[in-house]
Amino acid sequence: MYLGIDVGGTHTDAVALDISGPGVEVVSACKVKTHPQNLLASVNEALERILKGVDRNKVKRLNLSTTLSTNAIVEGRIEDVGVLVIPGPGMDPTEYMLCRDFHVLDGAMDHRGNETARLDKAQCARAIAACRANGVNTFAAVGKFSVRNPLHENTLRHMLCGSRDDADCHRADFVTLGHHLGGRLNFPRRAATAYFNCAVWRLYNEFADAVEKSLQALGLGHVRVNVLKADGGTMPLAVSRRMPVQSIFSGPAASVMGIIALCEIVHDSVILDIGGTTTDIAVFADGSPLLERAGIAIGSHPTLVRALRVKSIGVGGDSALSMIGDTVRVGPRRLGPSMAEGGRHPTLTDALNYLEYCAVGDVQTSRRGVTEFAEAHTISADKFAEQAVQAAAGTIHEETRALIAEINDQPVYTIHELIEGKRIVPRKLYLMGGPAEALQKPLFSRFQLASEAPEHFAVANAVGAALTRTTTDVELFADTQKHVMFLPGLGHHENIPGSYSLEDAKRDAMNHLLARLADLKLSSDADRAEITHASSFNMVEGMHTTGRNMRVKCQIKPGVERTLG
Amino acid sequence: MRKAERSLGVVFFPAFDWAISPTHPEREERLLYTQDQLHEEGLFDVEGVREYKPDVAERTDVERTHFCFPDVDAVTTRSHLVSAGGAIRAARLVMEKQAERAFAMVRPPGHHAMKCVRGARGFCNVNMEAIMIDWLREHYGLRRIAIVDTDCHHGDGTQDVFWHDPDVLFISLHQDGRTLFPGTGFPIESGGPAARGRTINIPLPPGTGDEGVLMVIRELVMPLLEDFGPELIINSAGQDNHYTDPITNMNVSAQGYAELNSILNPDIAVLEGGYAIQGALPYVNLGICLAMAGMDYSMVHEPDYRAESLRQDPRITSYVEELCRQMPRVYHNPPESPQSAEHGMRDGDWWVRNKSIFYDTGGFQETQKESALLCDNCRGVLQIESQVGSVRCLGVEVPLDACPACQNRGHAIVEQAQLKSAFRYVQLIDRVNKQYSRFGF
Repeated sequence: MYLGIDVGGTHTDAVALDISGPGVEVVSACKVKTHPQNLLASVNEALERILKGVDRNKVKRLNLSTTLSTNAIVEGRIEDVGVLVIPGPGMDPTEYMLCRDFHVLDGAMDHRGNETARLDKAQCARAIAACRANGVNTFAAVGKFSVRNPLHENTLRHMLCGSRDDADCHRADFVTLGHHLGGRLNFPRRAATAYFNCAVWRLYNEFADAVEKSLQALGLGHVRVNVLKADGGTMPLAVSRRMPVQSIFSGPAASVMGIIALCEIVHDSVILDIGGTTTDIAVFADGSPLLERAGIAIGSHPTLVRALRVKSIGVGGDSALSMIGDTVRVGPRRLGPSMAEGGRHPTLTDALNYLEYCAVGDVQTSRRGVTEFAEAHTISADKFAEQAVQAAAGTIHEETRALIAEINDQPVYTIHELIEGKRIVPRKLYLMGGPAEALQKPLFSRFQLASEAPEHFAVANAVGAALTRTTTDVELFADTQKHVMFLPGLGHHENIPGSYSLEDAKRDAMNHLLARLADLKLSSDADRAEITHASSFNMVEGMHTTGRNMRVKCQIKPGVERTLG
Repeated sequence: MRKAERSLGVVFFPAFDWAISPTHPEREERLLYTQDQLHEEGLFDVEGVREYKPDVAERTDVERTHFCFPDVDAVTTRSHLVSAGGAIRAARLVMEKQAERAFAMVRPPGHHAMKCVRGARGFCNVNMEAIMIDWLREHYGLRRIAIVDTDCHHGDGTQDVFWHDPDVLFISLHQDGRTLFPGTGFPIESGGPAARGRTINIPLPPGTGDEGVLMVIRELVMPLLEDFGPELIINSAGQDNHYTDPITNMNVSAQGYAELNSILNPDIAVLEGGYAIQGALPYVNLGICLAMAGMDYSMVHEPDYRAESLRQDPRITSYVEELCRQMPRVYHNPPESPQSAEHGMRDGDWWVRNKSIFYDTGGFQETQKESALLCDNCRGVLQIESQVGSVRCLGVEVPLDACPACQNRGHAIVEQAQLKSAFRYVQLIDRVNKQYSRFGF
């Protein structure tokens, strides 16, 4: 038995799935209100409801998607962090000053990881003391190019923790080092990600403690708990305690994974999750969801948190209808709920009711509301409703086209990719959310693509959460001239011979990824491991090759364990 | 949130799968560290700065600008079409107002590629800026354009392409041709008979640093640009004036390059040479991007930068001061060029020059006879007879705004050439009718 819970902004959705047979059975599902101030209560309530009549001993796993970290950041319920950055030469680091205790330290690494200026330890000690004097005891230490050489970050950790042992940090509550966030190059994002990771760390761990305690109380102490990430994967609860920032914005990912679980997606496709306020658009290439190029942004701060690429637009069932001149517009304002559900202004749902595309709530009120609004704007009610639905479908279509154009226009760096690279051409449309079925026909006439609105889509997000697999990724950087190989996310470096080849690098990266899976007790996912990038450049000085510069990335592909289809 | 004062589009295309040869300076690795630096700085997360993919130039885009013999495919690879396409994309960004400024950080370079192309010289096959400018003129009807070439080598290719064009002001700053490839670029080279004073060559002594180059930009180049009043300023942004460049002898730093772009304020920059790929390019490219976006570049330094060791020799300073005094004359009151076969001379209705061009990358010699018709009503039709070994080729160009007589004359020359079959290949560029055709096998 697998459980999935998606704590959203307004609702908490939960399912219990029976996986004892060859397929998946939805045993129970529920939707309860989210209590923003007490997410644990929502989780407990949802658990109680779906576990009615279920043998708790058979429950193996609980996957949880929560807005805890996101909300904490949005509402400013985060703690002060000491941010120590070592920017070296380049752009002005004070342009992205993240918080009060932000200290810029001397020292520099270049792009190959050569130390070009040393840390000034006295200056570091002064910065740390200044943070502590402000009562700050969680720290983010981030250096430019630390993913090529973590020396400065490690030195700072030693000074902050009072120990060189990774497990021991008796002088600070928590420290995040930039290179532990992965190998991608982007110093400002690394600094912001490390900062947010520290800022929500305490709150998140208190929540994790509480969840574990209440699972014990519910007789679910034996259950493995995973937490959803925004990239369409999960991480074990223990891992999330050190990387709470990875739990942000997992809601849209849960929905996308849900549709994968409900439908067999193999082609380039578009997924439209049409909700009350917004429509979320996601794009699949050959059946796999696309990721954001660099990472998701928290407020105005771009981060390194990997996330599925989802575009939200202001068209939904509760979007207000209005007229500008002769044109009927839908949204982006939400004046919901619809009149059918007791609202005071006609919305898209009312227009759909009027045209008998659906029958939500009180259809008569919708008819009256649409008619009155149309009369007041000297237009026939039929025409008004029809144009409103057309406008909604038209906006969704335009925005989807723009998103696909943007994806196809993404920079590439080789002639091969530029000329022969894949272009996304959607072949199918998947629809979910309240007004999805009602909009199926108008959307078809715009997109001219076969569309499908799967069953169970009301709790697709919870189904997605329940079935999502654990993902993890590893990046390797090797420089045979300097005889070093480094995996920043794992903090692992090794000496390598001059003869080290790209094949060696790929093998090592894979081995480290598989070893990490074994640590997470997930060796069975080994067949989902793949290399996503491998490049090797000859480094030449004068007319002689002095070594090779290699980069390898591999990952466990996001996916679901089984599908209901 | 970091924000750019001016929006900047960067067309970044490092062509990680293309090299002239494995250890050639123009190899896969060239922009690797620049890419690392720009990504690590998070440059493309700055509001207003965006990275774009290049267009791929069409064969017509090359044939609009160059005579290519035997044909475009024979003298280019896909990388050249992508690089030219990168420059076109940069121009498109600016013209379509998607960005106020654009930097085409593309390779391979192009400023040594001349009007007539028979192969590769100075790592260049086709001229990215020239292809871009002709594309701009055809699609957006622009006329007056200024190119400031800040590569350390004389931009002899760009000079040759626009030699007869009075609407393009070409200014090249470079290390003195007596000390460096291609050995040209002296003040006396100032443009063809219809465009005298529209080519300005500023040779700088080896060892010139930030001080000298910025003095030239401030005191010489800027006033000339002001007078010329171009619709668009383009920087041929070679980065081999850098103090660590392995094949030149200048002393310019990343700060110098950034400040140069801040003063020059070009609409579009196109990367040219620059082969100190680890110690210079990451910092110079970052500096140029920041300067173009109107952002603070004061903290961009090479790790080994020491201002005192790069101080310019006072003798160089006084030489550069003298250049700044003398050179405006070439623009305002261009001297008659000496009448000679090499510099050009009158032959009936034609202005004729004989050229001998060495293709250093290809390793062969081309002899050319270039004739421009002296027409009172327009720039005059241009023909180039080119010979490599025993293969003779003819290129005829009917320039933009050519008078009807010159249009007819151009077509007549091509017809005659076909009848006489004295040439293996013949190419016609008719800019008035946008007709680009080639004959011969």
